Amino acid sequence: MTAVLEVLVPGLLTTVQDAGRPDAARLGVPPAGACDPRGLMVANALLENPPGAPAVEITLGGVELTVRETTVLALGGADLGAVVVEEGRALAAGASHLVWAGQTIRFIGRRAGIVRGARAYLALPGGIDVPEVLGSASTCLVAGFGGVDGRRLRVGDLITGRRPSDPSLAGRAWPGPIVGDVTVVRVVAGPHGSRFGGRALDALTRRDWVVRPDSDRMGIRLSGPPLRHRHQGGSLVSVPVLWGAIQVPPDGTPIVLLADHQTVGGYPVLAVAIRADRSPLGQLAPGDPVRFELVDLAGAAAAWDTERAREAAVLGALARDERWHDHWRWAGS
Amino acid sequence: VTTPSRIVPFGEAAFLVVLGERISAPLNRRTHALDSAVRERFHRDDGWGEPVPAYASLLVPFDPDRVPAADARARLAALVTAVEQSGIPPERPGPLVEIPVRYGGADGPDLDEVAERLGLSPREVVALHAGRTYRVFMLGFVPGFAYLGSVAPRLVLPRRATPRPRVPVGSIGIAGRQTAVYPFATAGGWHLLGRTDVTLWDPASDRPARLAPGDRVRFVPTGGPS
Repeated sequence: MTAVLEVLVPGLLTTVQDAGRPDAARLGVPPAGACDPRGLMVANALLENPPGAPAVEITLGGVELTVRETTVLALGGADLGAVVVEEGRALAAGASHLVWAGQTIRFIGRRAGIVRGARAYLALPGGIDVPEVLGSASTCLVAGFGGVDGRRLRVGDLITGRRPSDPSLAGRAWPGPIVGDVTVVRVVAGPHGSRFGGRALDALTRRDWVVRPDSDRMGIRLSGPPLRHRHQGGSLVSVPVLWGAIQVPPDGTPIVLLADHQTVGGYPVLAVAIRADRSPLGQLAPGDPVRFELVDLAGAAAAWDTERAREAAVLGALARDERWHDHWRWAGS
Repeated sequence: VTTPSRIVPFGEAAFLVVLGERISAPLNRRTHALDSAVRERFHRDDGWGEPVPAYASLLVPFDPDRVPAADARARLAALVTAVEQSGIPPERPGPLVEIPVRYGGADGPDLDEVAERLGLSPREVVALHAGRTYRVFMLGFVPGFAYLGSVAPRLVLPRRATPRPRVPVGSIGIAGRQTAVYPFATAGGWHLLGRTDVTLWDPASDRPARLAPGDRVRFVPTGGPS
């Protein structure tokens, strides 16, 4: 395949991620996958890739890539200030772009005034070409498999798409929001409510929390006044846990589990983030404020339906846009 | 084991079946009997996910767009009742896996300290650790990490105050009533008694995790103090 980027500066944490491997949890394998599944879907949709095709997940910026062969690429998720260095051309998030052999792409990072989001997704035609392990191309960092040699990207790594570049896919823009409102995450009550005092859910939902710097792809650690367990309620015989679970360790400071979470946990789960808010959750960065809002299961289901309908509408608009786009199709590169 | 199981929602797209709040072989057998029943009857094509078993609980994911939560709960409840009414499955001995271990020295850097803290000689610690057949209760922590139990009461220690940032692959540790082999190099807080060359995790193989719940494990000393 021909679309090739080379990693010049790998940044904080840059990995290949797709829709993850939820079915391997019974082997102790974290689900992995994009922390913001919607950002992944947007980047892929712009290139007509399957929604869960592998893309490069970039954390907070500080990344530089050399274009070895002219290609179309697409960006989803957070706006991390991507520019083509030689031209000073900004590469908008939620859009596809043509970049030329020899150019350098730099992700400057979160810019003042654009405070939303921590993770950007870079898609190439057909998805990033890496082998699938246990049904997924995602990088399992803890066990060192999947993605590129089971590790974060480093200097000199080559990134290739699974399809030849089709320049006619350049210049498309996602006709909907790119990164949603990150400040409120809706939750349902968790399975271990009885382990906490009666007002623990109130305490979780009635105040602002701040994302701690030691948060990572395993979980978002929050700072704020500790939540109280009942007497000896702080630990239990380990149970299976899942993405979005809000665990409360004995010290009372909550951890919201993300894509690389361990499959079992011994801390009581006070609440669980709803599926509709999984993507905004995955866009929280250290220092960001976050609030939690309690909904019931019916509310969570309604939120999911709303999210899906919105997504379908935007995908429809993108497809209609394509007809307009065909009009402007220009031959080859 | 007499307490009936509870089914609680875990988010919108999974139920957690809690069979008990203890680590016990009978509860664990029942957990895995339920796991097998769920996998047999609830299929992906019908909107169910792969269940995840732990010590005495089972996570059963489903797609609420395809299986309404109320239906999922009713079908799961019927299955739980059926498994409970069939009693605790008899202990059908699982496959026996023998793991050769080099105890002590650089391979088991905590052996001497463990012995000292427990008022035993290193040789006695090895004899106690290798003198039992363990049961695989569950996989977790990291891929292929099998929680084995239960270690002799005289070997029970809380985990290390400060975890090691990197435990070498194949290290054998103890913590509480549990023992395990680290399937690859990773951070870990257990007391390290020895090391094996047996491969426990190979994601490229048909059976990535060498140990499965219900398997029996024996550690066979091949060196060190014995």
